[in-house]
Amino acid sequence: MTKRIFRSICFVALGVFLASVILFMWVLYDYFSNTRQDQLKMQTELAAHAVANEGSGYFEGLDTTQYRITWIQSDGTVLYDSESDSDEMENHLEREEIQEAMRSGYGQSSRYSVTLMERALYSAKRLPDGSVLRLSVSQNTLLTLTLGMLQPIIIILIIAIVLSLVLASRLSKKIVEPLNRLNLEEPLSNDGYDELAPLLHRIDAQQKQIQQQSDQLMQKQQEFEAVTENMTEGIILLNPKGIVLEINRAAQRLFETDHSCLGQHILSVNRSLEISNLLLQAEQGRHADCMISLAGDRYQLLVSPVVSGDVVSGSVMLALNVTEKEKAEQMRREFTANVSHELKTPLHTIAGSAELLMNRMVQETDKMDFYTRIYGEAQRMIRLVEDIIRLSHLDENEIEMKREKTDLYALAGDTIDALSVEAERMHVTLTLDGEPAVVEGIPQLLQSIVYNLCDNAIKYNRESGSVSVTVKNRQDSVMLSVADTGIGISDEHKERIFERFYRVDKSRSKELGGTGLGLSIVKHAARLHNANIEMHSVMDGGTTITVTFPKMD
Amino acid sequence: MRSKFDEQLASLHKELITMGTLCENAIEMSANALDECNLTIAEEVSEYASQIDHKERDIEAMCMRLLLQQQPVAKDLRTISSALKMVTDMERIGDNSGDIAEIVSMEHIAATDDKLDIHRMAQATIKMVTDSIDAFVKNDVELAKSVIAYDDVVDQHFNRIKTELIGRLKNSEADGEYALDLLMIAKYFERMGDHAANIAEWVLFSILGHRAGHIQTKH
Repeated sequence: MTKRIFRSICFVALGVFLASVILFMWVLYDYFSNTRQDQLKMQTELAAHAVANEGSGYFEGLDTTQYRITWIQSDGTVLYDSESDSDEMENHLEREEIQEAMRSGYGQSSRYSVTLMERALYSAKRLPDGSVLRLSVSQNTLLTLTLGMLQPIIIILIIAIVLSLVLASRLSKKIVEPLNRLNLEEPLSNDGYDELAPLLHRIDAQQKQIQQQSDQLMQKQQEFEAVTENMTEGIILLNPKGIVLEINRAAQRLFETDHSCLGQHILSVNRSLEISNLLLQAEQGRHADCMISLAGDRYQLLVSPVVSGDVVSGSVMLALNVTEKEKAEQMRREFTANVSHELKTPLHTIAGSAELLMNRMVQETDKMDFYTRIYGEAQRMIRLVEDIIRLSHLDENEIEMKREKTDLYALAGDTIDALSVEAERMHVTLTLDGEPAVVEGIPQLLQSIVYNLCDNAIKYNRESGSVSVTVKNRQDSVMLSVADTGIGISDEHKERIFERFYRVDKSRSKELGGTGLGLSIVKHAARLHNANIEMHSVMDGGTTITVTFPKMD
Repeated sequence: MRSKFDEQLASLHKELITMGTLCENAIEMSANALDECNLTIAEEVSEYASQIDHKERDIEAMCMRLLLQQQPVAKDLRTISSALKMVTDMERIGDNSGDIAEIVSMEHIAATDDKLDIHRMAQATIKMVTDSIDAFVKNDVELAKSVIAYDDVVDQHFNRIKTELIGRLKNSEADGEYALDLLMIAKYFERMGDHAANIAEWVLFSILGHRAGHIQTKH
């Protein structure tokens, strides 16, 4: 800026200076030339007069330092010249001033010297005898004058340049200083000069816009982080080269890493071949997924390329925990297999017996036996189907059975009464202890909990064992416990006995006529009542199952 | 210019990690094949071995190109030269896995045979290979040193198996072919341990600039 200001100041100064120099020179020089010419003319008049009177005598003793005097005959021959020998001089007839004087009595002209450094002024007068007297004087030309004044001119120029330099730097400083001191945070609070105002307004407007945009971005970022950080699924953003850009907490936990992996290649985090294959697919802009085992769980990894235009600009990797899903799927498969198997066994017996009866291959005395068997197996199937239906109801959570206040103690008493025949048959003593305890629940389900627990306790008991049912009020819960002196459950089975169709000893269960669904129904019914099931069992020492119901408000 | 070089170094790193993973898988599967005497797995191992061979050639070519085109110095040169050495060791690990699978596929050893606890030796070797690759991926000096030290464990396993086999042959308890096969397998595992230790040494070299890992002498 300083440079430009300096240039313009300098330019103006020089321009003005040169113009005035030229003007002055021109005018003054013109004026002086005219005066000089007039003087010369007068001198010529005088000299002509004197020569006309005195003839060549006049030249003798004439002071010729100021002028050069030349006398020329009418044919152009030089008669006298004050500076050179007249005999050697050429004919002057062709000279402009002579011609003019011959013609009109007086003439003048000027000629520049070869170097242009001098100018000679001539003035000629025709004498009465026809000869011509010429006076000439030399004069400095404009150029000489200018050259003569070169020193002061240069000095003035230098002064002008220096002055404009100083001025320019001061001026630009003055212009720039408020600009440098601008408070860009609050543009409108600045007190610069007026010309700055539009700029400040524009900065202010832009600042507001930037603020707005950054707020928006920040909000988006926070939203994104809030969403991804709280996801249970692991999410990883990758750039096209596979460098990790973002990794959420779930994914960090999953890959056992932390934020230090940002900016590193995903293969440094986990280098399994499945992941490198996924990357290859994503690079080509294809969706891909794979199953992978991480930290003891099964995960499904999904990779989706982020495509902008035709270019893959990154990819998103999503890790879903499918352990539960796979387990559930496996259980469902097992359940189906079990159901068909359980239903098929009694059907075989029924069909076989019926076939024998139909073909009259059964003796009259044995027929009763066969009828009993068919009836028994059919009953078993009915129980099984009923249990399955009940379980599926419980699964669906669809049952709209009415919840009502039920005395668990009374309910247990009824159940024990109902089971007393069975108990007697197995030589097992059934006892009920405790106090009336009211829970809010579905009576049918509560009954099936007590029934199934007691039924199991009786079935899997030893000869002349005992089953004791206890119902007690606790501070904020109601406890139902069924303890037997039976065969007990070993640790390896404890986890699985609540699964459908799971049996510790398959041959024994069949003998006893169980469906394999009892404990499963207990589990689901308890869950519907928000009740907690605890099991304590010692091999050959008996099992105690305690169901704790939350007390109603 | 530099940024392109950096990119090439990054992709070299990536390729090395992939090759390391291939080696890990190969040795793990050869151990599985041996445990279960499973011929299908044994075949897959040879598949892996040839993949590893391919990778080695690719990475070698990559290193050569880098050396010629970029004329690296100092740390870059160390990275590339150690990569060149590392792929050789990795390739040997792949080959040895393939050799084990080949012995398994001859079916001289049955799943029920007493394998003298060679399973533990295999696990120790797998741990060495995995750790050496980990040390490379994470540039972990301590882990690399621990891998080099762990080679002793594998060597001890080898000596134990060798003495036991000698004892059995003396008492004519063991069939000669079975004994020799088992000894070969043990030797292959021992060699893989050495290669893993070598990889760890090259990791140290590329980080520290000198081969600090001469804790033991190689044979």
